[in-house]
Amino acid sequence: MLSNTGPVGKLYLSIIDDVIEGMRELFLDEGLEDRVLDDLKHLWESKMMQSKAMEDFRKSLNSSNFVLQLPASYSQADQELTASVVIPANRSVHSFPVKNNSEALATFSLPAGLAYPVQIPAGVTLQTASGQLYKVNVPVVVTQAPAGQRALSQTTKVIDWREALTRPSSSSSSSAAVPAAAVRPQEPTAAVTQPPPTAGVPSGQQGPAPPPPPLPAAEASPPPGAEAPQPEVAGEEPEPRPRCEAASPCSHLLDFQIRAEEALTQTGRPKARDIDEILKEVIEVETEKVERARNLASAKAGDRAEAALGLDLDYGYSQISDIVQLDGAADSSDVEEEGAPLDENNFLGILNAEAIKALQEGDGSSDGNSMSSSSDGEGAGELANVEEEDPLNSGDDVIEQDIPDLFDTENVIVCQYDKIHRSKNRWKFHLKDGVMCHGGRDYVFSKAVGEAEW
Amino acid sequence: MDSSNDEALDIIITNVVATFRTRCHLNLRTIALEGTNVIYKPEVGKVLMKLRKPTITASIWSSGKIICTGATSEDEAKLGARRLARCLQKLGFKVRFSAFKVVNVLAVCSMPFAIHLIDFTKNNRPIASYEPELHPAATYRIKNLKATIQVFSTGSLTVTGPNVQNVATAVEQVYPLLFEVRKPICK
Repeated sequence: MLSNTGPVGKLYLSIIDDVIEGMRELFLDEGLEDRVLDDLKHLWESKMMQSKAMEDFRKSLNSSNFVLQLPASYSQADQELTASVVIPANRSVHSFPVKNNSEALATFSLPAGLAYPVQIPAGVTLQTASGQLYKVNVPVVVTQAPAGQRALSQTTKVIDWREALTRPSSSSSSSAAVPAAAVRPQEPTAAVTQPPPTAGVPSGQQGPAPPPPPLPAAEASPPPGAEAPQPEVAGEEPEPRPRCEAASPCSHLLDFQIRAEEALTQTGRPKARDIDEILKEVIEVETEKVERARNLASAKAGDRAEAALGLDLDYGYSQISDIVQLDGAADSSDVEEEGAPLDENNFLGILNAEAIKALQEGDGSSDGNSMSSSSDGEGAGELANVEEEDPLNSGDDVIEQDIPDLFDTENVIVCQYDKIHRSKNRWKFHLKDGVMCHGGRDYVFSKAVGEAEW
Repeated sequence: MDSSNDEALDIIITNVVATFRTRCHLNLRTIALEGTNVIYKPEVGKVLMKLRKPTITASIWSSGKIICTGATSEDEAKLGARRLARCLQKLGFKVRFSAFKVVNVLAVCSMPFAIHLIDFTKNNRPIASYEPELHPAATYRIKNLKATIQVFSTGSLTVTGPNVQNVATAVEQVYPLLFEVRKPICK
């Protein structure tokens, strides 16, 4: 699902999936909703990706301000359709392995560093480079804003535009054209989604206004009326407007602003050129999608709805903002994530409890035996050492270890051992099937060999 | 120092072995899991704990008997043993440091001359034994001191005894015997 993780991340995700699936029946038996389990799963994944993904992506500074805008013509009825889409932010722009809209899974590869509007089908779970998971139930346009200000301005414009479009419930081109036009002049100030005039017709349309109209076509659940206009994305500006109005207006707008702390590094990039290329790509993709969707829309609308219901997750805005925290939470959650997926060798807690019990019993019995010291059998030695019966003096005289904990390290390896060998103070380790947390990063291994000196 | 010569022989103590009791049962598993620098040997039933400061390796049994090895002097052995007991106390055991006893001292010494082992053995027939096929050194046991001296033809000696004093006495005792059978050429 999250394809921009390394092998460790993939393993962890598969573990999470296994655990969740195993629990599903139990949850249902308990009477809890499936949603609860899915919420748990997503929470778990997001936390894990936060803590571990932070390390993975620390080097690849993927900063992105993503602005997700609803297409105006998205219909409320189609919200049921959900698909999990992962957008790994590291790939190139040109790789759009978009599967059929009717499928539950579609993978979008978006480069983190570029700004572009991208249409994403409904019910998409987005993951930015920093590991943030966003489940979007409606088709959105992902535009990357280089800086916060721009994104803000964009959103406000989008909101205005959306609201303007929602007003005309029944599409009338004139009325819709007015609010659209009202927003239109504001578009030039939105740098990210503003296509440079030189880009030509297709890109010329890609303002906040045009993307939403194509969106309904691109989405997995194209509203009945939206399909027709979409292929004409390449058409002129006036066209999308009537089309999007023709489609059922969007019931509400979801704006997600994703901020990564590294977002500021993106400010300097020139956006115009990149936008052109991306827009062209997007248009092509959407065209394909539209055609496919149109063919399948009527037939599969119902199927998709049912198929995707299992992945019905609603992320409220508050949830999104909770996930944004990138610092601090990683410390504790890392430990949790270590414990949760690693079932095999985490028996220390159990052993400690047993040991403490045994110890208490042992102490109780040993106190009774301490009085019968003469039975030790050291005749002369005993007499000579009587004075030293108890010279410990509660540790006053005894100097403690000068360097008791040379290094209180968080680097731990939890594994099984094949062979551990020691010669004097040289140790050799042959380990297997383990996880090492070193420097905050997780490394999973099936075999490990080590040497150390004590 | 020595009985017959004015030379000073350096007797270097290489190992002191001591035992003591903690007077309480020890849970080896707890020690193995929570202690630092421990090696658990469940097949034998003991835990090895190594100390750095006085370099000491201690074998800890669940009965509370502890054997400390690796010290270079008796005082060091006692200090290490107390530190060890302190470690166990910190782990939560009601440790009482008792019955500390040095059981073995190993020292090496080098004669300034080589030794003719066969003659040495012939002269000290019942006390000394020499089997070159088994071991290249002649073994000389002093019964009243309970000390054992291994004599090598190079003139090196290893002496083991119950305490340092006995070891020193043993070296002094054997020195004249060795002096008799020294090889004049070497060293």
